[in-house]
Amino acid sequence: MDDSMKRLLQRLIRRIPAQMLKTTLDKWGRLTAAQKRSMDFTEPKWALTEKLMAIYEENGWTGKHITELEMTYIIDNPNQGMWYAFQLMDPEDDAHSVELTHFKEHFKSHLSELVRPVSIKIKKHTDEAVWIRIAWGDSFSRPNHLKPTYVVHHLQTPYVFVTSLTSKQKPLLSQALVLSTRHQAIKDANLSGRKLGAIRDLLMRQYQQVFPTNYPSPLAERNETVSNPQIEKEQVKCAENRLQMACEAFGDGVLPQLQSSVYKLETKFKDHSNKTMTEREQPFRCVVKFASTNLLESLRHCASSGIASTPVTPLLSSIPLKGRNYFVITDNGPGPSSQTRQTQN
Amino acid sequence: RLLVSAGVLGHLSRLEVQVRSRKSRPQPQGSRVAELKANAEALRTQAEQLRAEMETHKNLQKLRTSMDRRRTREEDGEEGMDEDSEDSELLRLMARHTQLNDLLYAHHIIGGYNATKTRQGKGLCLSLPTAYDGVFLETYNLEIDVKPALRIARHNIPPFIPLSSLVEQSSMQTDIRTFLDTLSQHLNAFSGRKQQLKLVKELHKSVEVMESNALCSILVLMFTVPKEKTAVLCTLDYTDHTRCLPTRVQFDSEDEALADSPDWNKNRSLLTETPVHKALLAMRKMGNIV
Repeated sequence: MDDSMKRLLQRLIRRIPAQMLKTTLDKWGRLTAAQKRSMDFTEPKWALTEKLMAIYEENGWTGKHITELEMTYIIDNPNQGMWYAFQLMDPEDDAHSVELTHFKEHFKSHLSELVRPVSIKIKKHTDEAVWIRIAWGDSFSRPNHLKPTYVVHHLQTPYVFVTSLTSKQKPLLSQALVLSTRHQAIKDANLSGRKLGAIRDLLMRQYQQVFPTNYPSPLAERNETVSNPQIEKEQVKCAENRLQMACEAFGDGVLPQLQSSVYKLETKFKDHSNKTMTEREQPFRCVVKFASTNLLESLRHCASSGIASTPVTPLLSSIPLKGRNYFVITDNGPGPSSQTRQTQN
Repeated sequence: RLLVSAGVLGHLSRLEVQVRSRKSRPQPQGSRVAELKANAEALRTQAEQLRAEMETHKNLQKLRTSMDRRRTREEDGEEGMDEDSEDSELLRLMARHTQLNDLLYAHHIIGGYNATKTRQGKGLCLSLPTAYDGVFLETYNLEIDVKPALRIARHNIPPFIPLSSLVEQSSMQTDIRTFLDTLSQHLNAFSGRKQQLKLVKELHKSVEVMESNALCSILVLMFTVPKEKTAVLCTLDYTDHTRCLPTRVQFDSEDEALADSPDWNKNRSLLTETPVHKALLAMRKMGNIV
């Protein structure tokens, strides 16, 4: 086995936490029963790596197998690094009938035309998500398997989720995606997060949304424990209204886990007690960032407990409504961000 | 409550007086005048509505107090009055109110589009329930801005339903009913196809689902023929997204003659005409698949 493959396998095994190794190998399904038995998962990592390298030689595996194993691991544990959402725009007439084989063939051929050499692996996951792993090479070097890009797309939806993409690679990937999904353009959806499932659920509206209705809503039946009956009687209508408005803005039940929301302000400074700043011609640039382990839950709680005034301000309710967590606000009002964010390098 | 209405009415009357007095003065600009006239008209209608509401409240209050007074007099042992027309009037009103509420609730239960006014009349929220085979499935919602033109503000319709093109095609602005009916068709068909897929997975474990998509418009199944154990790949294309049945059924097998055999022609028409989970049941009974 050549050195680069050895290093790749070593790095991969090192990356997979000990407790996940057994399940990942089982899911991958390439070890024989005897080989599985020979692996003692109580041994230290380095011993397991040695064993796997021996099995690698024994089975005559190639780099393809290692990348396959890596993909199996990432699909099950996608929450590593930042995921960015993109949206495909202006579908052609036949965009809604693009099916898997068509997409796979076209994506592979378009991307290979744009980048050579490139290593592309496409796998359809059980929940209708198409996973793509791309190792980029160029005219001077072979595909770099140590820094692959992962792309997730659900066919017939306009959303694409990407991680580990450099700004150089972005236009190439965009082109390949646009052509193979039969759309005319792709744009940054201004939504990012560490949890793939959360940003996907937010965009695909896979959480419990609440709409105003004349009929008794389940919210009304969910009363919090009454501590003091006197206080409860006075406050109950207000609290119910706040809860209803908070849930209408953010949703009910478990909400997708976003970690942050960023507002980039480019507005004129307005404070009459500070003449120097107010008299400046240029807008005052400032970035406001809200961060939390579960941002949407925190904001909903702010609204329902009265910390944030209700009805919820559109600055906050736009996060779930528009499915984005990056906003640029100018004096003309919050609008689509004219600048795209920097993708990581 | 009467005091509050009086306060609002008083304000409205003052505004009305203002508008009338402004009429006698020279007009500044035509468009501003028209705008103010329209506002005055709207306020006048609102004032009418509020006056009517206030009258109804006053009457109800009168009827209620007289009924209560009568009841307390009866309890105190005084001679009860004869059947008073006012009492039965009130009771009739209450009965009618309950009846209307029940009718609305019945409409809600059988799956009507419930329209709820929101944001003091500036918005309208509609619900679109879906059902298949007598079972209620997902309910989808639309929140619509009413002014200045009808516009969808918020919804929980999945992204693979082409909402914006439906809005254009059905000219939602002029004919919201057609738009809702078409949208409901798409949503019900999608729910139906999704439900069929779920039933296939639950009831037919011997059939393998090779491919499906979020819109449930493509389904690829793997059958096994008993005895020879040949594999047959079945592709169901649901190109008409307003229907729950496929438009095209195709069989692929190593045994090239299989697809044209009379048994499998029958299977093909079965799959085109009956929901897939029921068709599979029939095919298993006939012994065509495992």
